[in-house]
Amino acid sequence: MANTNAKEYNPKSSSTKSRLSWLWSEYSVIIAFVIIFIASAILSPRFLDMNNQLNILMQVSIIGIIAMGMTVVMLSGGIDLSVGSVLALAGVVSVLALNASGSILVGIFIALLVGSFAGFLNGLMVAKGRIASFIATLGMMAAARSIALYIADGGSVSGQVTGFTAISNSDLWIFDVPVIIFFIMTAAVYVLMHKTRFGRYVYALGSNEKAALLSAIRVDRIKIGVYTLIGALVGIAAVIETSRLNSISSSSSGSQYELDAIAAVIIGGTRMTGGRGKIIGTLFGVLILGILNNMMNLTNVSPYLQGFVKGLIIIIAVVFQKRE
Amino acid sequence: MITGSPFMAMKNIDKSFNGVPVLKNVTLQVEKGEIHALLGENGAGKSTMMNILGGVHNPDNGSIYIEGEEVKMANPRISQEQGISFIHQELNVVADLKVYENMFLGSELRNKFGFLNVEQMCRETHDVMETLGVDIDPKIYVRDLDTSYKQLIEIAKALLRKSRLIIMDEPTTSLAEHEVNRLFELMKGLKKSGVSIIYISHKLKEIKTVCDSFTVLRDGELIGTGSMEDQDPETITRMMVGKAVSQERYVHDNPFGDTILEVTGLSCEGLFKDINFSLRNGEILGFTGLAGDGRTELFETLFGYRKKYTGQVKVKGKPVAIDHPRKALRAGIGFVPKNRKENAIIKDLSVIHNMSLSSMGNFESKGFLQDKMEKERFQHYKGILNIKVHNPEVTIDKLSGGNQQKVVIAKWLEAQTEILIFDNPTQGIDVGAKQEIYQEIVALSEMGKAVIVLSSEAQEVIKVCHSINVMYQGEITARFDGKTANEEEIMHYATGSKREAEKIG
Repeated sequence: MANTNAKEYNPKSSSTKSRLSWLWSEYSVIIAFVIIFIASAILSPRFLDMNNQLNILMQVSIIGIIAMGMTVVMLSGGIDLSVGSVLALAGVVSVLALNASGSILVGIFIALLVGSFAGFLNGLMVAKGRIASFIATLGMMAAARSIALYIADGGSVSGQVTGFTAISNSDLWIFDVPVIIFFIMTAAVYVLMHKTRFGRYVYALGSNEKAALLSAIRVDRIKIGVYTLIGALVGIAAVIETSRLNSISSSSSGSQYELDAIAAVIIGGTRMTGGRGKIIGTLFGVLILGILNNMMNLTNVSPYLQGFVKGLIIIIAVVFQKRE
Repeated sequence: MITGSPFMAMKNIDKSFNGVPVLKNVTLQVEKGEIHALLGENGAGKSTMMNILGGVHNPDNGSIYIEGEEVKMANPRISQEQGISFIHQELNVVADLKVYENMFLGSELRNKFGFLNVEQMCRETHDVMETLGVDIDPKIYVRDLDTSYKQLIEIAKALLRKSRLIIMDEPTTSLAEHEVNRLFELMKGLKKSGVSIIYISHKLKEIKTVCDSFTVLRDGELIGTGSMEDQDPETITRMMVGKAVSQERYVHDNPFGDTILEVTGLSCEGLFKDINFSLRNGEILGFTGLAGDGRTELFETLFGYRKKYTGQVKVKGKPVAIDHPRKALRAGIGFVPKNRKENAIIKDLSVIHNMSLSSMGNFESKGFLQDKMEKERFQHYKGILNIKVHNPEVTIDKLSGGNQQKVVIAKWLEAQTEILIFDNPTQGIDVGAKQEIYQEIVALSEMGKAVIVLSSEAQEVIKVCHSINVMYQGEITARFDGKTANEEEIMHYATGSKREAEKIG
């Protein structure tokens, strides 16, 4: 056996073959993106306008940042439904801190802290409490929203510190700052997932938790880390959201963000049960959602029908993944 | 033997996948009421052959005859209608349903109002079980039954469908010895009632006891077929692997080093009690017993997978509290678990990444992983462990069982473990690769590693271990020197028919 099989060794042919299939699995979402992009350009002359393009990026930046965290959570085999509510809570608390301290840095820090802490609690519930992530984060979703409403008395809170709005309303070269933050976060999460042991452990855990544990990985800590990470990213998103209009609504801000973020991750090709998926896929998933929203506005599709189109795209995306 | 036409004949079957021929002009004939062994290493084409018979794949060439008449097995339904049942290695029973619900899954009986006719289903289940000579309450949940009973349900299901040919794919892998015997009795009973069985297994001893005739495949070709009586196991093994497999012991008398692991009074409620043993560098210690003897649980505890235990574990003379696999790793313990697919490999990670998983620190520079270092390290293990893989960047599930196991071994070597625990190391690995795994285990001990081998096959521990512990119901009931141990003696202690507690100390 040992001798006969050794002859078959032929690295070249097998690696080009696997590279081809890798290209396909890697780029199917990009191909979809290109098709949608071209179709949009044909359907609406205004689509290709530079300002419109930059506008799309600006509009997806908040969901994009959250979706990066969601990718990590879903790769670990979990889900986080609490992102929208936590965003509202982090926003409300940080604006209060901002106004009380007069310091923008304190405001940002508090937003990150609230987001991370909520994520940490989610992680604790999932890892140590052995509660299914869907349930744990569903609870957090309700609780965080409720606390935000209580603190803001059901209304909105506005910043009273000049310069705070500059975060979301200034630009570097041609890009708005939120877009740049989105890109930086994408790159950071990419490096985290592919170049550090944390990322490797997340993939391992999502693919086979028991084997990961039996490989001496501290599975519980990784899980807590995963939820804390998405919490921190939600904190960043909360700062951008708040800064954009200098106010945050305890009742409506962040509402249904979890659905858009999950949709982007799924369109990007990440497997619902974890272990397989790519950050780049999510990036293009986010962009596809952004273009769809933009196109529906440009072509005057009734806003009531936009959810329908989005739902359709998600389902089509999943059907395509099953085929592969 | 051949009188008239056989019950089932697959003639001159050719099949290729993506241009790669998997079966080349293979013929298989099974008489009515015989147990026919289908033999061959993994990848020899057995499963493809059975999938063709089951209607899952269509052959490129060749034809299938049932009782002399040609049948096109275009889909699984036709195959079922012809009375062919396939009992897979992984049992297809639903643990959360009751016995009778499993029996009638997909073909439930209904009364005239369209509701389920529970009473009749229970009665029929009971009747079939009775013919099999077992007494199970049809309304009990399957999750509460032993594995052997789950197998039984599959067989009963096949009988219920009036199957005339049952294919069993390695049915004994998860069974204990007495359960195996029960299965064999059952098979003989089926045979008498005219049912034919195609029996796929690696275990020649079993085949010798239960099968009437055999067909050997190798690399998709028919190597030999005939009556079991005329052949001795060595000849058949030679047909399977293309060379003889020795029955000798692999382990040598190498000098032992210092005591590295000492276990005293280790107990865990309901699983094992008062376990004492010690292990030296260079020593291979075997643990064997029947299913439910607690050995797997014992070593899962030692590896920190189970947290509740009493007693003391000393590594290199120092007491250690192991409550997480990480701590076991720190103490220098590595664990190659059984059921590789569920417990040991991460199927979405590449071969290289599976190798490096427990020792990521070795491949980091300034906190970032260095792909190149991982690749180089893998090449090192590929060489010393003879891992056969074209492209180590493919996911590990593309490898054969033996090679997967070697990658798992490489993982623990890379993690610098001194004590290596193997639980059923050759599970689902074909004969040729088994030998290699044995050789690896022995080579590890010669490198000075302390090794523990758990196996339900007494032969296996005799082959590779310096000394052998036999467990029965959570206790060590006997110790043997590997040189003088024999299977029969071991079985006496493993089944609890003999106890020798005073010998231990």
